[in-house]
Amino acid sequence: MRNLYIFIAVLFIPWSFTLAKYDEFEDGDDIMEYDDNDFAEFEDVSEDTVTESPQRIITTEDDEEEATVELEGQDENQEDFDDADTQEGDTESEPYDDEEFEGYEEKPDASHSKNKDPITIVNVPAHLQNSWESYYMEILMVTGLLAYIMNYIIGKNKNNRLAHAWFNTHRELLESNFALVGDDGTNKEATSTGKLNQENEHIYNLWCSGRVCCEGMLIQLKFLKRQDLLNVLARMMRPASDQVQIKVTMNDEDMDTYVFAVGTRKALVRLQKEMQDLSEFCSDKPKSGAKYGLPDSLAILSEMGEVTEGMMDAKMIHFLTHYADKIDSVQFSDQFSGPKLMQEEGQLTKLPETKKTLLFTFNVPGSGNTSPKDMESLLPLMSMVIYSIDKAKKFRLNREGKQKADKNRARVEENFLKLTHVQRQEAAQSRREEKKRAEKERIMNEEDPEKQRRLEEAALRREQKKLEKKQMKMKQIKVKAM
Amino acid sequence: RDPRGSRCPARLTEPPFSARYKPPATETNPALEDPTPDYMNLLGMVFSMCGLMLKLKWCAWIAVYCSFISFANSRSSEDTKQMMSSFMLSISAVVMSYLQNPQPMSPPW
Repeated sequence: MRNLYIFIAVLFIPWSFTLAKYDEFEDGDDIMEYDDNDFAEFEDVSEDTVTESPQRIITTEDDEEEATVELEGQDENQEDFDDADTQEGDTESEPYDDEEFEGYEEKPDASHSKNKDPITIVNVPAHLQNSWESYYMEILMVTGLLAYIMNYIIGKNKNNRLAHAWFNTHRELLESNFALVGDDGTNKEATSTGKLNQENEHIYNLWCSGRVCCEGMLIQLKFLKRQDLLNVLARMMRPASDQVQIKVTMNDEDMDTYVFAVGTRKALVRLQKEMQDLSEFCSDKPKSGAKYGLPDSLAILSEMGEVTEGMMDAKMIHFLTHYADKIDSVQFSDQFSGPKLMQEEGQLTKLPETKKTLLFTFNVPGSGNTSPKDMESLLPLMSMVIYSIDKAKKFRLNREGKQKADKNRARVEENFLKLTHVQRQEAAQSRREEKKRAEKERIMNEEDPEKQRRLEEAALRREQKKLEKKQMKMKQIKVKAM
Repeated sequence: RDPRGSRCPARLTEPPFSARYKPPATETNPALEDPTPDYMNLLGMVFSMCGLMLKLKWCAWIAVYCSFISFANSRSSEDTKQMMSSFMLSISAVVMSYLQNPQPMSPPW
């Protein structure tokens, strides 16, 4: 459908062009003839500019004192050529016929050539010329547009091919591990579509579900914007690579409470600033993983040392060292709520919802110049993901670790509550006022005067009780303070 | 669970076993979304208005480019009507500029 629109639009442009040009072209010829004719009369210009209609003399509207000769075939374009007219009054006004004109043309040339200074032929400015070459800017623009469209088609197809190559490579592994591979949320029943879900020309989604331990796995193939020429040019300055982002949502009972991340130093620094959970729970700077045998390019962010110890088992280290160049970041978190929300003061009344999540970001090798074959090299990374799911389920903190983790979480919650104390108070106050107002309204609307009175009394009694309670509390506090 | 154990036993076989797909909540997180198509759309409309009102050919051409870029960067959930309207507006700006003034565009230098 989109391609059809593009096609129609592309046809539109040259058609509109021809429309615009058509009128002008007609007049052009006449004007040229006029020029030659005009000069031929008075100047020593090349004699072979014989015109088809030699009877024509140019008359101008403002030459009223001179006798104007009516001529056949006058166009409306005369006024454009006021300047072009040579205002030699004497020769313009004579009536003539064919024979007279033939000999006549020579004489004025002969007589006037001696008296007149040689006329310099001025270059007609580009915008008055009438050749296709003068439209070079437009041709450039249209060529640019065509180049953009070509790039769009090529880029789109390349992204498509890469996506399908990835899917074909990974399909078997996914289908053996998940019952539902591919779902776009539109069908009533949960059936595997077995296809990628194309969100964009450069983003493809795949939802897998139906495995023990995890609720589901969302894979996002975030390719570079190859369909946008501007982006392609920008990437020539600053190379970037395609990314595969995998987000596994764990079941609540299948993951213990910890926050842990490993990845390139740059990525971790960025994540620590952006992600809500990493910034709250992992306060230290990313540490080097050399202690565990990881290459220097990788660093670790962890809530506590025990988690790192538990996570860095032999197999995980093997995965991380072998595929270090493809790993951007790996994040295991039970408090995952996405990036920090930029909210105004006074709007945040509740902690954002958290989900137990494993988040993996991988870079596709090739740094932009990927070919479908490169997708095969990502297959072991998917195995790492599956292994991590099982590992996250198996790993449990010991008693100490659990205590620390619970303390941390309580601390974070407390901080949050303190920050929002004022807002929550205001919210509670407004709720109370709402209730009162609603009750009053009810009393007002009550038809029966008896009932009204009774309700009023009940409300009064309630208020008195509240006041008493408050007074009691104040007294207690005072006593305690003393 | 697969009792044989020869295949991966982790794959669930008894219903209900699958959670459904929910599109990632980018509506609540507008910072995550790429703002390019919206900016380009707006820019395209502004330039095409300039081109039409002030009769500037280069404005109209830039508007065409902007609407193309916006189209290339758009999300699939985006309204095609919006896209088409900005596109048609920019094309009409170009056509009108040339109808009113058929002379070629002069370069700015």
